[in-house]
Amino acid sequence: MSNAIAEPQVIDLSLGELDLVDEIKELGGEELLECIQCAKCAAVCPMALAGFPFFNKRVIQAILIGSRETLLDDSSIWACQSCNRCTEICPRQVRPFEIILAMRRVAVREFALPTLTTDGLKSLFDVGHAVYLKEAGKSRKKVGLPEKPPSTLAHPQALRELQAIMRKTALAELGIIPMGEAEVAGSCEV
Amino acid sequence: MPRIGVYICHCGENIAGAVNIEAVREYAGTLPGVAVAKDYLFMCSDPGQELIRQDIKDGLVDRVVVAACTPRTHEPIFRKAVEDGGLNKYLFEMANIRDQDSWAHWNEKDGATEKAKRLIASAVAKAGLLEPLQDRFVEVTKSALVIGAGVSGMFAALDLANMGYKVHLVEKEPSVGGNMAKLDKTFPTNDCSACILTPVMVQVGTHPNIELLTYAEVASVEGSIGNFKVDVVKKQTYIDWDKCTGCGDCVNACPAKAPNEFNEGMDNRKAVYIQFPQAVPKKAVLDLDHCINCGKRSIGTQPRTHSVTGEPILAPCEKACKTGACDRSVAYDPAGERVTLQVGTIIAAAGFKAMDKAPFKEYSPQSPNVITSMQLERILSATGPTEGEFKRPSDGKKPATVAFISCVGSRDKSHHSYCSKVCCMYMLKEARLIKEKYPATNVYLFYIDVRTAGKDFEEYYNYCRDLGIKVIRGRAGAVDELAGDRLRVRAYDVDMCAPVELESDLVVLATAIEPAPGLPEMGRKLGINCGGEGFLKELHTKLYPVETSVKGIYVAGCAQGPKDIPESVSQARAASSSAAVPLTLGKVVVEPFSSAVDREKCSGCGICVPLCPYSAISREEVDGKLRARIDEALCAGCGVCAAACPSLAITLHGFTEAQIQAQINALTIGAGGGKVV
Amino acid sequence: MKVGFFVGCNTAFNRPDLEQAVRFALPALGVELDDLEGQSCCPTWGTLPSIDLVGWCALGARNFALAEEKGLDMVTVCGSCYGSLAESKHKMLHDPELKAGVNAMLKEIGREFKGTSNIRQAVNFLYKEAGPEKIGAALRYRLDGLTVAVQPGCHSLWPSEVYVDPEEDSFHPAVLREMCAALGASAPYYSRLTDCCGMGGMRSTDMERSFKLVLTKLASIKEEIDPDLIVTGCSSCLIQLDTAQAFLQKDRLIDYEIPVLHYMQLLALCLGADPQQITGLAKTNVSRVVNRIRGDENE
Repeated sequence: MSNAIAEPQVIDLSLGELDLVDEIKELGGEELLECIQCAKCAAVCPMALAGFPFFNKRVIQAILIGSRETLLDDSSIWACQSCNRCTEICPRQVRPFEIILAMRRVAVREFALPTLTTDGLKSLFDVGHAVYLKEAGKSRKKVGLPEKPPSTLAHPQALRELQAIMRKTALAELGIIPMGEAEVAGSCEV
Repeated sequence: MPRIGVYICHCGENIAGAVNIEAVREYAGTLPGVAVAKDYLFMCSDPGQELIRQDIKDGLVDRVVVAACTPRTHEPIFRKAVEDGGLNKYLFEMANIRDQDSWAHWNEKDGATEKAKRLIASAVAKAGLLEPLQDRFVEVTKSALVIGAGVSGMFAALDLANMGYKVHLVEKEPSVGGNMAKLDKTFPTNDCSACILTPVMVQVGTHPNIELLTYAEVASVEGSIGNFKVDVVKKQTYIDWDKCTGCGDCVNACPAKAPNEFNEGMDNRKAVYIQFPQAVPKKAVLDLDHCINCGKRSIGTQPRTHSVTGEPILAPCEKACKTGACDRSVAYDPAGERVTLQVGTIIAAAGFKAMDKAPFKEYSPQSPNVITSMQLERILSATGPTEGEFKRPSDGKKPATVAFISCVGSRDKSHHSYCSKVCCMYMLKEARLIKEKYPATNVYLFYIDVRTAGKDFEEYYNYCRDLGIKVIRGRAGAVDELAGDRLRVRAYDVDMCAPVELESDLVVLATAIEPAPGLPEMGRKLGINCGGEGFLKELHTKLYPVETSVKGIYVAGCAQGPKDIPESVSQARAASSSAAVPLTLGKVVVEPFSSAVDREKCSGCGICVPLCPYSAISREEVDGKLRARIDEALCAGCGVCAAACPSLAITLHGFTEAQIQAQINALTIGAGGGKVV
Repeated sequence: MKVGFFVGCNTAFNRPDLEQAVRFALPALGVELDDLEGQSCCPTWGTLPSIDLVGWCALGARNFALAEEKGLDMVTVCGSCYGSLAESKHKMLHDPELKAGVNAMLKEIGREFKGTSNIRQAVNFLYKEAGPEKIGAALRYRLDGLTVAVQPGCHSLWPSEVYVDPEEDSFHPAVLREMCAALGASAPYYSRLTDCCGMGGMRSTDMERSFKLVLTKLASIKEEIDPDLIVTGCSSCLIQLDTAQAFLQKDRLIDYEIPVLHYMQLLALCLGADPQQITGLAKTNVSRVVNRIRGDENE
């Protein structure tokens, strides 16, 4: 059985931050209010099946009652697989995955993001790959490939293009990762 | 100079909440021709009407404008007040400053006030040009048409027939009965559907005032209340129903098979078939699409003669028929036979269709053991493919575990966003029938929520729970196929806060009630609007639930929206009593808004003749010249001819060129110069 | 026919043997590969898509622009790349304002997103462009007698509206099964075929929980079809199913191991590629099944 109710506690609905709904709609969760909590999405959600405390249906309900802190205190939203099965079957066309992405965007704006995410973003900025293993050159050679793939890793000008774009995103305003041109990250496996 | 009285209604807060009544009243008083401008909390109340009556009696006004709600519901009330005051009731004009103004612009009060001024100015401009008109009366044909012979259509027809009116009952299937005839038992009393429906079907079939036209469809509708002309096409049966006794010998002889629609495709019928055992009329039909021509003789040809005996060589179906009803030499006529009916009123009761399972791929519809509720009804029915034995389709085994899934296609933006209303209860009913007959069966119902609003429904729900039927709240998200033709239902139990799985032998999808195929097209033929979901629209949800936007045409049953049997029958009987009113009166009032031709101006060009949707215009010779002539009894006042006449020779009374121009001028030239929303 | 090979991160750094398999198999079937020099991360879900919608689409659009400039479609073996790129393109094409915002950003680096190139998933791409029959005829080795369990991967299925080569029924995917059958294998249905493998954000957040999904999936595979091999259509599924089994064995949750390969590895093998180069980095023991396919083993 899921441990979603492992630590039951009373939620004071009057403390709900109801502007969370507008924030989510603003950040890409436009269809939020179409949800009727039918639980069809939860029936097939990998997060629910794996026992994470929050998953599509429950994230949506938490947003609807403005339970911002609950969602920020829990890392579940970062465990979403983006499998989009919920999007495919939702009878209300809520696009629950987009709601989770929007909730991540809210969390990021409150600096509530996991270290691995920060690492991935830094790696993306430094080498153009969110997943990057410094030692990979060896295994690439072993299977007969050049040490670097034909990506930003092998093309400094291309990396500068990518960095120019990243500097224009919300990431730069938030200052979550250093965006200097200094060092290159080590390995990162998101 | 006319003396116009303007009366502005607050409609409680409905208008006054958005429109500055005081400002509007002051403005109205300044308009040319306005003698009196007053406002009142509820103009439709007796004291409100009295204001109008008194001002007329006092000689203050000879034209009346009421600025209030919609003429759809309130125009007759105010016309009566004007008449009671002593004026011709058509010296009245209404400005709709509620539906078209205060409600629409609730959050823009300044703009709403300006708009109210313009709407009133426009009505005043027209009022100044109004002329007294006289009502017309039209004789009513004392018969009715009922479209659809399901439980709604049959009750509507029986009521009218019992009142003594001739009723033509048109049904597209070979038999009357509709969807209800397919059901096993019916909630909330669990009467056997056949037991309560069959006697009704027989009554319909034998009633002297009812003419049954089954296997037939409405092709066109012309005319208006009191006198509709309806063309009905009878589909060709290739069996002479006057001779057919319904013995079934031809059916037994036929070797060709086709999916049996009555059993929801779960078994086969023959190409020659009788729709179901209790069919009314119990007559055979030859379905040419599935006939394999086993007698090697196509339809419409004479039989060859036997070289030795000289006897005609007949097809098996013909040979089996003892009465000569089955005759393949009858000419093939794809257009069918056309019958023209003259009726005074029409009731549309064309029913519904339960959705098919195919679109719901997440529920593995390719499995024969995933079925719709309607299919389960047939399985449970004694006249169904298993003769009432509870067997699953794949191998005929009795299911040990059954799962039901609710809201399949309902509350679903990809299919039907409405609630189908009856599914919660029919799921409980089907579960109960199974559980009562086979108590060892495990029955699980997967619901979003259980909706049991209705007399005795909640008690029914509780009884089902007492029987041990399990209710899981959480809409199922997947059905996986397993070995042994079993199925795995996956859901999230919102009460346990956990994902749940159930291995099941049979999965029943409670599919949505949707408009019958062709319903929107029928709506178009009748001139009735369909709502966004495709059901026929009633005139007013609360006050005129069986009337439609077309006078003389009424709706009943699921053609108007999903409903259960008690509600369908109630609505059908309401529709029949409404439809009987014009028949009883024998004549109906027709508003005097008909068109007239000025023969001096008419050039006789004839452009108007084919344009008239009511065939009311013809040309006749006057002093050796052709001139248009409009039959007032047929004219519905649509104004098409007046708009099209190149000589401006046609006037539509009540909407004259001058009146409309004055209204437009008042609207466009502007009122107070403020911003209009 | 020529396509841009969108390599992505996991394939390039975690499983370059899969990259090598693509570089062998597609040309062997007459599909020329372009390197799309300067390509980057798609970007994957946990990065810009979780920060900023426009930023997500802009990085995706830059990758598309590289292919558009050469007039090519892109092909990937990674579900995440496929999903992220297809979704970003879908969003840009359905939201003119978003597209304009993205192009304003791209203008500064001298590029433009037009929407003329598609992102395609290698197996579905081959299914449509080459077809099972042509592939079957080109094989040097066949999988006759082998039973495989397929794992198409969520991103080749949903949301079906964003993909150019969608499955006819995304809840009962047929393409990977048919493509395995084209190699001679039997690829039967099993009841948790469309279940998620647990790789991705879930594995990064909580590896143990993500392995619960692997365990459920493996149980269904083992009990229902007991295959010689698991074949994935996605590089992430490959990594997850290939690496998780050792953990599960260590925790005594399973007492077996099923070798795992990506379809493109298996295809390259059947087309005669050097097994070391195209499967050499597998953690599960694939050598026995590889030898059996090549007939190198004396059984």
